[in-house]
Amino acid sequence: MKNQNVLVIGSGVAGMEASLILADAGMKVHLVEKDSLIGGQTIKFEEVYPNMECATCMLAPKQQEVLQHENITLYLLSQVKKTEGSAGEFKVQIEKKARYVSLINCIGCGACYDPCPVSLDNEFEQGMSQKKAIAVACPGALPNVPAIDADNCLRLNGKKKGCNACEQACGFGAIDFTEKDETINLEVGAIIVATGFDQFDVSGLAQFGYGKHPNVYTAMEFERLYAQNGPTEGKLTLREERPIKSAGIIHCIGRKEKGYCSGVCCMYSMKFAHFIKDKAPEAEIHEFHTDLCIPGKSHQRFYEELSKKIDFIRYEDVEVKGNNGNLEIIYTHSNGKRDSIKSDMVILSPAMIPSKGTKDLAKVLGISQDSMGFFSTQDQNLSPIDSEKEGIFIIGCAEGPKDIPDSVSQAEAAAGRILSLLQ
Amino acid sequence: MNKKIGVYVCECGPNIPERIDIDKVIEELSSMGEVKTVKRYSLLCSNDGKKFLKEDIEKEELTHVVVAACSPKEHENTFMKVCEEAGMNPYLFQMVNIREQCAWMIPDKEEATSKAIKYIKAGVHRVLFHDPLKQKELEINVDVLVIGGGISGIEASLSLAGPNRKIHLVEKTDSLGGMAGKLSQILPHQGSKIKLVKEKIEQVENNENIHVYTSSDVKEVRGFLGNFEAVVKSNQENKEGIEEEIKVGAVVLATGFEMFDLKENPVYGYGEIENVVSALEFEEMIHSEKIELKNGKKPKSVALVHCAGRKEKGYCSKVCCLYTLKFAHYLKDNLPDVDVKELYMDLCLPHKQDQSYFDQAKEKGVEFIRMDEVEKIKKSGDKIEVEYRNNDKADKVSVDMVVIAPAMVPSQDTSHLAELLNLPLDKSGFFKELHEMLDPVATPMEGVYITGCALGPRNIPESMTQSHATSGKILSSLIPGRKVKPEVKVSEIKEDLCTGCQTCLSVCFYGAISYDPFKGVSVVNEAICRGCGSCVGSCPSGAIRSKHFTYYQLYQEVMEALR
Ligand SMILES: Cc1cc2nc3c(=O)[nH]c(=O)nc-3n(C[C@H](O)[C@H](O)[C@H](O)COP(=O)(O)OP(=O)(O)OC[C@H]3O[C@@H](n4cnc5c(N)ncnc54)[C@H](O)[C@@H]3O)c2cc1C
Ligand SMILES: Cc1cc2nc3c(=O)[nH]c(=O)nc-3n(C[C@H](O)[C@H](O)[C@H](O)COP(=O)(O)OP(=O)(O)OC[C@H]3O[C@@H](n4cnc5c(N)ncnc54)[C@H](O)[C@@H]3O)c2cc1C
Ligand code: SF4
Ligand code: SF4
Ligand code: SF4
Repeated sequence: MKNQNVLVIGSGVAGMEASLILADAGMKVHLVEKDSLIGGQTIKFEEVYPNMECATCMLAPKQQEVLQHENITLYLLSQVKKTEGSAGEFKVQIEKKARYVSLINCIGCGACYDPCPVSLDNEFEQGMSQKKAIAVACPGALPNVPAIDADNCLRLNGKKKGCNACEQACGFGAIDFTEKDETINLEVGAIIVATGFDQFDVSGLAQFGYGKHPNVYTAMEFERLYAQNGPTEGKLTLREERPIKSAGIIHCIGRKEKGYCSGVCCMYSMKFAHFIKDKAPEAEIHEFHTDLCIPGKSHQRFYEELSKKIDFIRYEDVEVKGNNGNLEIIYTHSNGKRDSIKSDMVILSPAMIPSKGTKDLAKVLGISQDSMGFFSTQDQNLSPIDSEKEGIFIIGCAEGPKDIPDSVSQAEAAAGRILSLLQ
Repeated sequence: MNKKIGVYVCECGPNIPERIDIDKVIEELSSMGEVKTVKRYSLLCSNDGKKFLKEDIEKEELTHVVVAACSPKEHENTFMKVCEEAGMNPYLFQMVNIREQCAWMIPDKEEATSKAIKYIKAGVHRVLFHDPLKQKELEINVDVLVIGGGISGIEASLSLAGPNRKIHLVEKTDSLGGMAGKLSQILPHQGSKIKLVKEKIEQVENNENIHVYTSSDVKEVRGFLGNFEAVVKSNQENKEGIEEEIKVGAVVLATGFEMFDLKENPVYGYGEIENVVSALEFEEMIHSEKIELKNGKKPKSVALVHCAGRKEKGYCSKVCCLYTLKFAHYLKDNLPDVDVKELYMDLCLPHKQDQSYFDQAKEKGVEFIRMDEVEKIKKSGDKIEVEYRNNDKADKVSVDMVVIAPAMVPSQDTSHLAELLNLPLDKSGFFKELHEMLDPVATPMEGVYITGCALGPRNIPESMTQSHATSGKILSSLIPGRKVKPEVKVSEIKEDLCTGCQTCLSVCFYGAISYDPFKGVSVVNEAICRGCGSCVGSCPSGAIRSKHFTYYQLYQEVMEALR
């Protein structure tokens, strides 16, 4: 492999780490991200287990490095549409959507948001808040430059041709309605796939009452609910702005349906309990779990500390019922006893599943998916980051559920493999 | 040298002028003695802004520059680069944050303006006392010392070795392979005997760029990224005691794990009761294809007991659930009538393919029994009884053979090596990573990396992945022909003030300070120091000076701000 160019798909914690190591080594990295910001799922978290570090503070320096590195070219709002060739000489086609805001001229002042007449559900906030047609996903998003949602912008979708409210508000001439979608062709020596995961859709499982009872949250909703830069600015309240007096956190949602344990839900569920207890020490919290899968070397200590403060219940089965605005968790304990508790809030911890575009991307790359839908890797050769095609590596949650350190290790490993081949 | 200072006030669009009266700032600053020029610019970080700054520095022949703008976190590096391009020493530069700390903080324009003026004046006073520091460049050695010849050390060596890079692989025992070399089957590739480890050992032995030292110890390691010296001592019969000095640029620790000593807890009856065996002994039985009781008969029932030592050690060892499943499969496949019971606390199956091994074992008729704790393993006639508690109820199973899966614990030499290399250990006694989340194979000692079970329990694919990760880190920092650039803003110890009390040695997280017994003083190794400043505050004699945060610089800055 002589080509010193590498394509990295996905800019979560895994994709960023792989890009930085390769770029430091002098390789030219092309980093493709489908969203308008970098950082992936982890930038949604206020804190990360087991040390309860602030995730945004931890990641911001990495994100800045990615944005400023002279060997990294970033393609935002972009997807890989075609690939051909083989290791050492892949030809790649990228489709880049217009942002309509200049990454160079915009200084991120935010003056353009308010004047925009269009409000939309903010997907990044799991629909728990609204944003304008010109907006950043959340305060602190990097790059700190808004993007215009072309489907909903009145000017771009043709509903009100003359709207230029944002353009007028911008003192930097950063808005450019003439920007066009682009197609970019590249030649790269290797490809790293770091497209991450999505959350199992819990609305299909009626027994948990999600969608029916407003105070039943998914894990990702809860992450945003307690984030300082989230829709409530970190204020921990129920939907009707009542303080939380009790909460039930249910593990393993979708484990049976999916046929695998996601390996991180036990720990993040406990992180939630830890957090609620910290903010509302009086709150009564119950963790409903099956097996406790807490394999990290500091994880059991976290559990032991927490179990002094909250109740852990090993369940056989469990359901959530609504009762005049209150919630009731009805369960069978592992000792066979049936019981129930009342709870203000229920948090569901769903399985991690392959990210939405996995199937299409697998086709584009000419590689297959395993029985669970993640990209297939050469496990039988004890080589979990090698796809079946030489020169294509799979890292992070694109390979299967895992936590941040394991995602980072795989990212560094993929970089190691590529640099080793080039020695 | 005649000092000529330039002060540049960035407007940052409307951000700064909205709250700060820049004309007033210019007026106040212009009257300061050494200030040659004060100018404003709309957006100094833009390409036009940087060009303006460079040309103006050249035109005004400035020696020092102060930029009053946003946070130094955003653009300090940007402007230092511009200064350098304009022919200045980039360390004769000071950034003053009048956006986050003035304009965005204080609603009253007059107050904000006056604070900004004080800050900028403080910056001017500080920069006058800056030293023209120089970025050093050091030649590097790109070879690597790998300590530990298990699968982690093997994989790291294979991945790192190349035509321009020699690897020294030191193994304590007389053969390579570590624990993986003792396994006859390796999950997740259940079924076939894995040749993989053997093949890898052969590859190492045939690789002319890897020098293997078996039956050897590393006695000493000194140095820093790019420049380590180590002493390897042989314990081989005919070479006993022979020491060899080697020079390398990086060190990889792959010293693996050991098994929790089951005799530590008498409830297991290990070593006392016949046919109570450890997982390792069972692996050996599989290897010799003889699953037999002491009396030579085949067992009719086997209990696989998980989590021995988990409570004592305080962590779950992650791979035991998986390898006991491997044992269960082996038993069911080779002794079809055998009754297999797995006694577990929690099933820890965190990888996507793990649960299907569990489901398949269940289909083969393996019985899974949840327990809170083993109470006692004891002999009862011909049988062995495992008494356990579940949901506070006592219960028991009666079997011919018991296999116990003990916790994985740090290998014997871990604390000794940690001392040798100045590395921290975690609460469980394994090596501690530089950052558990974002830097999982690095250590506070730049150039020293850790992989595999030396960091904590993990399986073979994870260990190998981490070895590739260490290789990624090393191959991107030690590149043949490149030089390393150590931190510039380091600390130094004044010999005549140092009393040799060695307080600073204990506070330096990076192990950058050593004691010179001949001179009776402590010395900072500039190549290792990161300039954190901890030692400066700790020195009772005030002998340590941080080169870009000198007492005098800070005094001038603070005095001016308080005026
Ligand atoms: C609720 C919850 C809490 C968690 N808490 C913790 C914790 O406290 N500690 C911890 O260690 N781990 C935690 N985790 C796990 C952690 O989120 C993952 O380990 C981590 O996000 C994996 O990073 P990644 O880069 O592989 O994927 P992601 O973070 O998912 O990033 C993938 C990136 O790829 C982009 N992308 C996807 N598809 C495409 C495409 N086709 N083209 C281009 N780009 C694409 C995405 O937009 C995204 O930016 C938690 C997980 C959940 C669900
Ligand atoms: C019973 C059992 C069954 C297992 N089965 C599986 C399985 O089926 N699948 C799987 O993936 N994993 C399995 N594992 C886990 C697997 O053994 C480990 O992941 C793997 O061995 C880790 O490799 P390592 O190189 O990090 O450590 P080790 O194998 O412990 O190797 C460390 C090496 O370093 C050497 N060393 C130690 N100290 C020094 C020193 N001071 N100087 C020089 N050399 C030193 C040691 O002699 C040894 O050779 C099993 C573990 C056990 C206990
Ligand atoms: S043009 Fe109008 S609708 Fe479109 S983003 Fe700007 S303000 Fe919003
Ligand atoms: S586009 Fe203009 S108004 Fe909007 S954030 Fe950027 S600089 Fe501010
Ligand atoms: S400044 Fe920090 S890194 Fe440098 S010698 Fe002092 S304590 Fe060590």
